[in-house]
Amino acid sequence: MTTDRNLLHAQSILRDLATDWSQPAPERYDAHVLPQKLVATVTKLNQARWGYLAAITGLDKGPEVGEFEVLYHFCAGAAVLTLRVTLNRAYPVIPSVCAVFPYASPYERETGEMLGIRFDGTPDDSWLFLPDDWEPEVFPLRKDTVLNGGDA
Amino acid sequence: MTPSTDRKRFTVPIGPQHPALKEPGHFAFDVDGEIVQSASVRLGYAHRGIEKATESRTWVQNLYLLERICGICSHIHATAYCLGVEKLAEVEVPPRAQAIRSLVAELERIHSHLLWLGVAAHEAGFDTLFMYSWRDRETVMDILEALTGNRVHYSANVLGGVKYDVDDKQAATIREGLDFLEERTLHYLEVVTTDGLFLQRTRGIGVMNRDEAEQSGVIGPTGRASGVHRDVRIDSPYTAYAEHPILPVYESTGDLLARFIVRLREQLASFEYIRMLLDHLPNSPLTTRMPRRVKEGEAISRVEAPRGELFYFIKSNGGDMPERIHVRTPTLCNIASVAQLVIGQHLADVPMILVGIDPCFSCNDRTSVISQDGQRDLWTWDRLRQYGINHYGTHYSKDIHR
Repeated sequence: MTTDRNLLHAQSILRDLATDWSQPAPERYDAHVLPQKLVATVTKLNQARWGYLAAITGLDKGPEVGEFEVLYHFCAGAAVLTLRVTLNRAYPVIPSVCAVFPYASPYERETGEMLGIRFDGTPDDSWLFLPDDWEPEVFPLRKDTVLNGGDA
Repeated sequence: MTPSTDRKRFTVPIGPQHPALKEPGHFAFDVDGEIVQSASVRLGYAHRGIEKATESRTWVQNLYLLERICGICSHIHATAYCLGVEKLAEVEVPPRAQAIRSLVAELERIHSHLLWLGVAAHEAGFDTLFMYSWRDRETVMDILEALTGNRVHYSANVLGGVKYDVDDKQAATIREGLDFLEERTLHYLEVVTTDGLFLQRTRGIGVMNRDEAEQSGVIGPTGRASGVHRDVRIDSPYTAYAEHPILPVYESTGDLLARFIVRLREQLASFEYIRMLLDHLPNSPLTTRMPRRVKEGEAISRVEAPRGELFYFIKSNGGDMPERIHVRTPTLCNIASVAQLVIGQHLADVPMILVGIDPCFSCNDRTSVISQDGQRDLWTWDRLRQYGINHYGTHYSKDIHR
């Protein structure tokens, strides 16, 4: 019951901000959000104290589709709200949410260096995980990146 | 020589080797005298590229890969993965298997918390406590070995269930071990709350109140020591926790001492829980049939690892390999809090504060570059596999064929 209430509450908070909704599982809601509305959306969630930002996942849909998707997973009890932001693969820039959630910094650093997505305004964009001698324009988690040996 | 009157800050680099614990991570602390003014973190020294590697392996191979993310909480990684894949495949796991998953998870928690107690005691200069707690940790590792044949990578999970059952003899061994460990844990609880010298290193150090803890996103025992009511076993129960809830443990003072008390009390809760599970083990098969290909879709699975919430995002395109697996480990949530917590503290307290979150860098870092003769050489999976076969075939052929 609490989970349903939490999900309904999330829907009411994001009524004017989400462009599309889906419910992939009973405890989950996915809300599609435009990049320019992302900070406003997370600010509203934070003001309403709706759960916490549990993770940021970067998805590469491949060069054929030409899109990245960045997923912001918020959890409140068992309820999981995912904000889905689609980016053009040729210009992968998204605003940082660190002004609202300072602890998002390691999530943004990881997603940024692994997929080559720029988080505009992130306080620290240095590498968190990649080795110092890593080629700067090689982004390991992109689908068209084949690492040495093909299976590293 | 004239003494320097320059008040410029000085940066103390700590790590990447042995930054207070035997795992690699790099921290840069700006200090003014003895007091830390700011801090930055650099990880990745144990990064193996596991997320990328999962995309070229089958669903079954990935189970073995993912449970090797961590050498302490291997079981909980495998559990999070299995739960997510089973959700996608719409497979229902038999209740006995779910109970055994919870049983092994709680044994793993005890093992992890005892390991932490030893490391934390060592950082405080209390090596007697370190040695005793690691001696006692052998008991729970012996139990895990008796159950699964392994002390660290128990590999209890398979997709669709578990590999191992618990018989009456094993249950008796577990109970006997738990009785001993309970007595020891009560003793350690008394030691850490009464030993004057130890309290000087923990009471009022690295304090985070509930608001600060929520704002800095800390989870797991670190958050619960500050009164943050987050525990996936309670909030979103999985495996056996829905039918048999576990007692949550919270403290409110939010200092290092509270982090000791929370973990020790969590061990006591785990002892109770395991005994209860052994009394109520349902009768059912251990596994159910899993399809080789997993239906298209995305699944999120959340579990409570010893260090806090472990979050898996799994996407399938309907094939026999995943499209994407993303792992968010508890240390990634908690590590940012260290950079905040140390500000204004003495440099000498930094190791204790770092250890206070029970960081696990191996969990966090997931690319293996093997250097030979100073050359950078990346091994393919096939090459590594062949090496393993040749190595063990030559050295241990007698054991293998026995």
